Amino acid sequence: MTGRSAFAVSAVVLIAGCNSQRSKPDVESTRHPVAGSTSSQADWFVDRAAETGLDFVHFNGASGQFFYPEILPPGVALFDYDNDGDLDVYVVQGQMLGAGTSLADALLPPTGRSLPLTGRLFRNDLRVREDGTRVLHFTDVTAQSGIEARQYGLGVATGDIDNDGCVDLLLTNFGTNQLFHNNCDGTFTDISKQSGIEDNPGVAVAAAFLDYDRDGWLDLYVGYNVNYTLENDTRCPNVAGVRDYCPPRTYGGQPDRLYHNVGHGKFADVSAAALAGATFGPALGVVTADFNGDGWIDIYVANDGVENLLWINQHNGTFKETALLSGAAVNELGKPEASMGVDAGDFDNDGDEDLFFTNLTGEGHDLLVNDGTGQFQDVSAQSRIGPASLPYTGFGTAWFDFDNDGLLDVLTVNGKVALEGRANGRFPYDQRKQLFRNLGDGRFEDVTGKAGRVFALSEVGRGAAFGDIDNDGDTDVVVANDSGPVRLLINNLGNRNHWLGLRLVGERRDSLGATVAVMRPTGPTLWRRARADGSYASANDPRVLIGLGRSTEKPTLRVRWPDGRIEEWADVTIDRYTTLREGGGKKRR
Amino acid sequence: MTRTLLALLVAAAAGCTAHEREGLQAVSRPDVSRMAPSAQTQVRTSYETLTRKIEKRSTTAMELANAYGEFGKLLMAADEREAAKPCLVNAQTLAPGDVRWPYYLGHLHRKNGDLANAVTSFERALQLKPEDVATLVWLGNLHLDEGQPAQAKLNFERALSLQPRSRSALFGLGRVALAEQQYARAIEHLEAVLRQDPQAAAVHYPLAMAYRATGDTKQAAIHLRLREDRQVLPADPLIVELEALLESPQTYESRGIQALDNKDWPGAAALFRHGLELAPDHAALRHRLGTALYMMGDVAGAQDQFERVVRTSPGYHLAQYSLAVLFQTQGRHAEAIEHLSAALEIKPNYTDARLRFANGLRHVGRAADALPQYDQVLVETPDNSEARFNRAIAFVQLHRYRDARRALSDAMKRYPDQPFFAHGLARLLASAPDDTVRDGGRALALVQTLLGKEQRTLDLGETFAMALAASGRFDEAASVQRDLLKGAANSSLHAVVARLAHNLDRYERREPCLTPWTDGELP
Repeated sequence: MTGRSAFAVSAVVLIAGCNSQRSKPDVESTRHPVAGSTSSQADWFVDRAAETGLDFVHFNGASGQFFYPEILPPGVALFDYDNDGDLDVYVVQGQMLGAGTSLADALLPPTGRSLPLTGRLFRNDLRVREDGTRVLHFTDVTAQSGIEARQYGLGVATGDIDNDGCVDLLLTNFGTNQLFHNNCDGTFTDISKQSGIEDNPGVAVAAAFLDYDRDGWLDLYVGYNVNYTLENDTRCPNVAGVRDYCPPRTYGGQPDRLYHNVGHGKFADVSAAALAGATFGPALGVVTADFNGDGWIDIYVANDGVENLLWINQHNGTFKETALLSGAAVNELGKPEASMGVDAGDFDNDGDEDLFFTNLTGEGHDLLVNDGTGQFQDVSAQSRIGPASLPYTGFGTAWFDFDNDGLLDVLTVNGKVALEGRANGRFPYDQRKQLFRNLGDGRFEDVTGKAGRVFALSEVGRGAAFGDIDNDGDTDVVVANDSGPVRLLINNLGNRNHWLGLRLVGERRDSLGATVAVMRPTGPTLWRRARADGSYASANDPRVLIGLGRSTEKPTLRVRWPDGRIEEWADVTIDRYTTLREGGGKKRR
Repeated sequence: MTRTLLALLVAAAAGCTAHEREGLQAVSRPDVSRMAPSAQTQVRTSYETLTRKIEKRSTTAMELANAYGEFGKLLMAADEREAAKPCLVNAQTLAPGDVRWPYYLGHLHRKNGDLANAVTSFERALQLKPEDVATLVWLGNLHLDEGQPAQAKLNFERALSLQPRSRSALFGLGRVALAEQQYARAIEHLEAVLRQDPQAAAVHYPLAMAYRATGDTKQAAIHLRLREDRQVLPADPLIVELEALLESPQTYESRGIQALDNKDWPGAAALFRHGLELAPDHAALRHRLGTALYMMGDVAGAQDQFERVVRTSPGYHLAQYSLAVLFQTQGRHAEAIEHLSAALEIKPNYTDARLRFANGLRHVGRAADALPQYDQVLVETPDNSEARFNRAIAFVQLHRYRDARRALSDAMKRYPDQPFFAHGLARLLASAPDDTVRDGGRALALVQTLLGKEQRTLDLGETFAMALAASGRFDEAASVQRDLLKGAANSSLHAVVARLAHNLDRYERREPCLTPWTDGELP
């Protein structure tokens, strides 16, 4: 076990070349069998945010007036903005809301960890010692980054919009969205206006970058939530007259937007032509994947309280909305659900993208199985996730193989949006997170109780970004809490199994939407997708991390690139990260 | 006395009396300060009653159970579930033979998403009242939520044996069959529910999914179109009682809305009036009362309520809107415009109001002012077909026939399943005064396609005649027009008769119609 981990470590260093020369404080090793085990390290996941410098507390500006946006944020992103081979973190921040209010009116005043009230960029200064232990440290580099994010932040999306090899940053706001171009020198420039994405002010939460027309440039889907302004704010008391946050139907949905990247990061709004024929709802989650197996990327939108949307790519720059007949719009009773966080992944290893999305307390989260043609069946109850999640309101979520056994598991970050029978406290919307382990037979086990003490914390969970933050071969999670601290859930379990790490690169950037089939001499083929989207208001590690269980066999990889090209690589080394470049493999039809 | 002290007192009192009171849970009154005044009073009174019963040593276990239970019910009705739970548990402990307490506890756990405890409570209720159909159906539903269709089936079958026409039990069996992928059986059960109650709209979605699974996508599509977000629930007197318990404007509003959903207009009006007795200045309640009265046909009553809201709460945009709608139906467009303008000032992104505002402007001859309003509607809701159609009509009113033609042609492509765009375009091509726009051949082709697919309405017939005339086929146009005239006369459509006669005269003079829509026809 120890030997394998050490090997994994050295491989990562070779590939990523990420031993930064920056000066770093000597924070204790994050985890690892090679490091001295403590009781906390026996936990599957351990929160290491504060001790590694990821010291941030979200501020939502709540002043007792129940302004709708207060209940939505924050999102969080994992992306390697400085190309040093490790994942950096961006967290969105809130502001006071309402005319004439000041910080003195805040129910939960900002602390030093919240200030200044701006979205924050934390650079990951990961260092790997010779013995394989990791020194994980984050440095707040917001001030020198050029990112000025002083609107009321809700979410974040990432993608390299101009193919310059540096990941750019989109911030969704209660206000106007902001697009920051990565200058490839550690700084960003606000190009919202000149890029063409600046719209009228609104409430945008979810966004996803995708190349829907196969032209090599990343396009952008922005999911808008409700038709809300501070001027049309409405009082929504419960049955007893106690004021609470309004449901989205109070304000109604706002149309989503599809922006076509016409080249070099200039966008044109093509919504009217490309997204015709559907009724938009209050979007909260967006995930892009090829749902009907035709090789073209489709879009799934999780709408709050109204029918979800499944936009099937028509191969001509337009989409057709098919969710209702596809069985992906409503629950098994035909009722639209709250649908916050969302992800697509092949949990049953049958080669297609299944859907998972989180819902309100009493609804249970939904698991929809794809039959390979984009037709879905609701198996939430049979999977056991439905009943186990009924007491929770879920937000951030993802399919991820936390124990690297080759089966995609699910984590949900939870927190209420209504008092639900508990009116005491200043912001009493907290709930615990949940972790479900895939048993491989269509059922999941609720393993929250075994996952670690961080899972016992009751917080108002919203964003969650998934990625291998310490490059040790398993998936970690950054959780962003509304009016609470960011949590850094370091995975102590996954790399006890074998794994395969891949970076799928097109011309110069991560090839979002590329899928890889991992074919082994024995054992089922595993299908995974490179993606940054999904979850809730958050952006994930675009690398693909595949759990291989006990298998030490070198697999053959078949990659389908977003432009339709198929290539194969044989005998790929495991327990390390490998970069596959489009054009570098053996062509296949 | 502080809440904590009271809680301690209650707990202490519960713990020091007769032996049957041992093991009771501590109960406290929740913070009521943010509740509606009437609800605060109710909760305080009920809590004082409970406290007195606890303090009084002669209180019997049954009396104490009732006091705990009633307080628990009230808290549950107020959605204070956390505080309600120990009350109902205590009631159950003190009166283990009373079915109400495990039944309410079952619902409380169910609302909290606590399936295991909900099942335990309903099973306990069922032991006490084995033939209660509501309990059986709720248990069945819970087992389905648990992913245990076989267990659910037993409950639904038992419910059906007790009440053979129970729609909720039959619906449950349909869901069981669907979960077990027995699609033919699911169709059988779900169709049976619809035969019993064609209004049971909740059935359509699972039925559509069952048809889809059998490959019958046509039936699936039909049922998807009929789908509504409603439930098929058992008759549930205990829950009805609970929902009527809390005296608050919001409760009456919520119950009134349910009555509106059930198309029980007088019932809804009565509930809204009760709510208004508690809160006379409650704008939403009064507005809803106006809506209920309107649905009952009491237009004057509705107008009175809407006007009162506008007077007392001028910032309540919905009342401004409703009043405008009411005026528009009476042809009082100028007044409607005034109220729609007010609604839009309050809520600039109120799309429905903006669309009506634009229509109103057209109706008073301000089509040029209407155009930017339609454009704004289409920015906010790009798929608003009504806005697209009316925008085209505005172009017609402004004699911008080419723009109208382009707008209708684009919309026709965008909405191939909405025939009124094709019809509108046909009408324009058949009768536009602009010779460069009028195109009888194309108009005729469009109308003939529509005649093959759509109902043959008088409007469509008229367009057919126009298209024939525009194609130079005046005799045929006149013949069609005479038939239409006869039909209109038989139906006493006097205004239509006059219009048809006018155009017939033109066709007989071998002249095409050059008025796509008269003022009276404009939508």
